[in-house]
Amino acid sequence: MLKMNHLSKVYRTHLIETHALRDFSIHVRDGEFVAVTGPSGSGKTTFLNIAGLLEQFSGGEYFLDGVDVRGMNDSARSRLRNEKIGFIFQGFNLIPDLNLFDNVDVPLRYRGFNAAERKRRIEDALARVGLSARTRHYPSELSGGQQQRVAIARALAGSPKILLADEPTGNLDTQMARGVMQLLEELHAEGATILMVTHDPELAARAQRNVHVIDGQVVDIHAEPRMRGLGVVAAQAAHG
Amino acid sequence: MLELRPILSALMRSKVSLVLIGLQIALTLAIVCNSLFIISERAALMNRPSGINETDTFTVGSIGFGADFDLRASIAEDLAMLRGLPGIADVAAINATPLSDGGWSQGISLDKDQKSPTAPTALYLTDEHGLNALGARIVAGRNFRPDEISGRTRQSLAWPPGLIMSRALADKLWPGQDPIGKSFYINVEQAPSTVIGIVDRLQAPWVHKQRVVELSTVVPQVVSDGSFVRYLLRAAPGQRDAMMKRVEARLAELNPGRIVRDAKSIEKLRADVYAEDRAMMIILGVVIASLLIITALGIVGMASFWVTQRTKQIGTRRALGATRGAILRHFLAENFVITSFGLVAGTLLAYGFNAWLIQNYETARMPWYYVPAGCVTLWLLGQIAVLGPARRASRVTPAMATRSV
Repeated sequence: MLKMNHLSKVYRTHLIETHALRDFSIHVRDGEFVAVTGPSGSGKTTFLNIAGLLEQFSGGEYFLDGVDVRGMNDSARSRLRNEKIGFIFQGFNLIPDLNLFDNVDVPLRYRGFNAAERKRRIEDALARVGLSARTRHYPSELSGGQQQRVAIARALAGSPKILLADEPTGNLDTQMARGVMQLLEELHAEGATILMVTHDPELAARAQRNVHVIDGQVVDIHAEPRMRGLGVVAAQAAHG
Repeated sequence: MLELRPILSALMRSKVSLVLIGLQIALTLAIVCNSLFIISERAALMNRPSGINETDTFTVGSIGFGADFDLRASIAEDLAMLRGLPGIADVAAINATPLSDGGWSQGISLDKDQKSPTAPTALYLTDEHGLNALGARIVAGRNFRPDEISGRTRQSLAWPPGLIMSRALADKLWPGQDPIGKSFYINVEQAPSTVIGIVDRLQAPWVHKQRVVELSTVVPQVVSDGSFVRYLLRAAPGQRDAMMKRVEARLAELNPGRIVRDAKSIEKLRADVYAEDRAMMIILGVVIASLLIITALGIVGMASFWVTQRTKQIGTRRALGATRGAILRHFLAENFVITSFGLVAGTLLAYGFNAWLIQNYETARMPWYYVPAGCVTLWLLGQIAVLGPARRASRVTPAMATRSV
């Protein structure tokens, strides 16, 4: 599903070169739930940005659902991102002036679905996260947990190949975080591929597999029993 | 892909911005349309032909002084000299000229018992050379004969039997009829006059009096009392300015017992009489340009602010699959919606303003196409103004979506 081989990312200014990722390799298979952990500044966000086609990388290879993304222009990357990836952001990133229906509609409009198809997908996605009754509400009228559920509905509506979650419970209190995490686990149980970036070891422990990143490099890949009964998955080497 | 509905619903949640920029656009449309209409009306007014040769003609005045000054003799002597002057095509004494904003007027009646006149008219008193000196074109009948020219004093009550009038006046008095030979009264107490000739066009001196501006009558008389006479001269082509100086000098030489003054070309008279109109056009032009610039800057400012305010939102849209083109189109469409709101209000305001001008200042009704043309202009202006901020928005990186600030 998602395969990076010896990937590197270098930020250059006229004074300094910063290696955000070095020889970074990872392989996420269909249906996996992988957590990427690491301390602040370790390169997690850079990895997520590259995985989500939000940033270019400097070297190496990256295949998303079998598509080699090297050298793709901005429009092609936008289309691929729209089609293959569902984003769940730490800050929800809902558009405050749009109601829930229109918020979920945003990526679908960019996909070019017709109105009837979009309506069906939006209603299904909001139903999946338990917010069918609130389609005309605005984000400010919802709790943080509900807003993140809307963001998940928005991520799901386009039937992406992979969900990329960036600290999905980072802005939520414990109870809301539990609810959101449970929803992600349910989605995974239904077959979704999820790649979650987090610095919270407790959350990471709920994934099938943890990838630990320090100084832009993968230092540890291991599988652990899920804390809440999704079974033990055999460890996988990230690149073979 | 346009997102008009979500844009519209989002804007409805930012009503203050919508109302403020919409109001600015509405006022701009109303003022620009009406100002342009006023400018076009003034331009049309200024572009009306006077019916005379304005390029080569000029006037010069003479005021005699001294107890023995004889105006009649002085005029005869001056005309003889001037008509023999090389470079002068023709010359006549005349009481007023078109574009001078000063002259004589009377009412014309068709019936002796009429209580109020049928039409007003400007009166040009001149001799058989007058029309040729003016460069006015006789299109029916004939010019005056030398034997028909008489003097006119303050005591004169009767008007000569044969007069020439402008075609506009003849059409007003006898619509659809041949005016030659028709009788009319300038003074109902006196004998009627008859039309002996028609000039194609001869404007009255008062260009801003719409009721009378095209209604002129030429009388075969020369003012022969007092001490002032005005000469109208037509120079040979290209010699006007040189002849103005020469004529002033020769008149002064001929009779030192008078003051020669006010030598003015008809082109100068035209410039003077329309000076206020020209100033009005310039002021309105500056107002229009200023309003358009201010409106464009307002749109640029608002759009720039929104781009800055929504950088994270734009990054999120990019992350969710918006191409740069889609972001650009989003901002253009948003501006289109805002401008359209303003233009709807502006259309009502523009016609309302015009109605107010009609009621209070007797201006004409603005042609219907001014407002649609103004709308298209402001739509284009809005799109051009928002292009810079929209391009800046389209360059927001999708990685902005994952940044914490």
